[in-house]
Amino acid sequence: MNSVVVKSKEVTLLEILDRVLDKGVVISGDMVISVADVDLIYLGLKVLLSSVETIEKLRGSPFVGPM
Amino acid sequence: MKLYLYGIIDSSDQITESIYGLESAGVYSIPFCDIGAVVSEISQPIRDATEGAVSEHEAVVEKLMVNFTVLPVRFRTIIDSRDGLLSMMQAHYKDFKDNLGRLHNKLEFGIKVIWPSDKIKGRMINTYKKSSEKLSVSNDSSNKRFMRDKFEKYKLDEEFEKKANKFINVMDIFFSKFAAEKKLGKLKSENLLLDAVYLVEKDNQDNFKEAFEHIKSAHKGFKFLFSGPWPVYNFVILPKKSGLLINSGQEDLFDKVIQHRDFVGANKT
Repeated sequence: MNSVVVKSKEVTLLEILDRVLDKGVVISGDMVISVADVDLIYLGLKVLLSSVETIEKLRGSPFVGPM
Repeated sequence: MKLYLYGIIDSSDQITESIYGLESAGVYSIPFCDIGAVVSEISQPIRDATEGAVSEHEAVVEKLMVNFTVLPVRFRTIIDSRDGLLSMMQAHYKDFKDNLGRLHNKLEFGIKVIWPSDKIKGRMINTYKKSSEKLSVSNDSSNKRFMRDKFEKYKLDEEFEKKANKFINVMDIFFSKFAAEKKLGKLKSENLLLDAVYLVEKDNQDNFKEAFEHIKSAHKGFKFLFSGPWPVYNFVILPKKSGLLINSGQEDLFDKVIQHRDFVGANKT
């Protein structure tokens, strides 16, 4: 698979995670059986990864624009 | 059967398009007055936030965006019954309506800017050293040297932040021209100069992208990440009253992670 495509997919996934897990309307109450919380272990990992800066360090090359 | 909730839409009409959500279940809308709650039936609670499940949730919300204004609901929200859902809709109808009106025809875009902080700091240090060499006295006492070093560090940090603010202001002026609302995260780390989200009218999205390209080409040494259009995850404003919250935010997020880390650490010892 083309590495550029993989990188772009990974960056997009992190952007999705940042929003879907941490933003948006949170509803709680008696009628909600699954509180819109997140798995903390997973979240802990993603917090580390969600920084684009970190992705850059891991990957070592730019994803958009020249450096 | 429980109901998995994806979002609140600005219509009581049924969804005509075939959309499939978690567990490959059909997605439909439960109307309440002139708005709707978009759900699919789910047999069991979602234990893990897997890549697949998160992507499916997001895909449903993005498909809804094509025809409706959507208030995206956070991943893994499951309601116990149709009656429970309707009572929630009744309780928060006005809040939902206000947001749907405010966010109508608008999209969210994310912009992250990484700058070469080490190079910038390096240049600042060199400039500062040249000017301070003239003033320094070789037989300074260690106390004086210590105080001077502390002061230099303070001045450099101050200068670094000023420089960052200057860059951010220039960029933000361009982006804000085509944005209705924004949230700016400045210097979340030394390298992450800007982590911003902008709310943009659909009709203005091309202008906004053009502004981004312009800024990108004018800052050759920086790296840029542009993402979107997204559902308006960052711009729903709801009162923090019982039963309904919005955007716990990074502070809460980090608190949770820290609590978890401490808990894990405690278990290990």
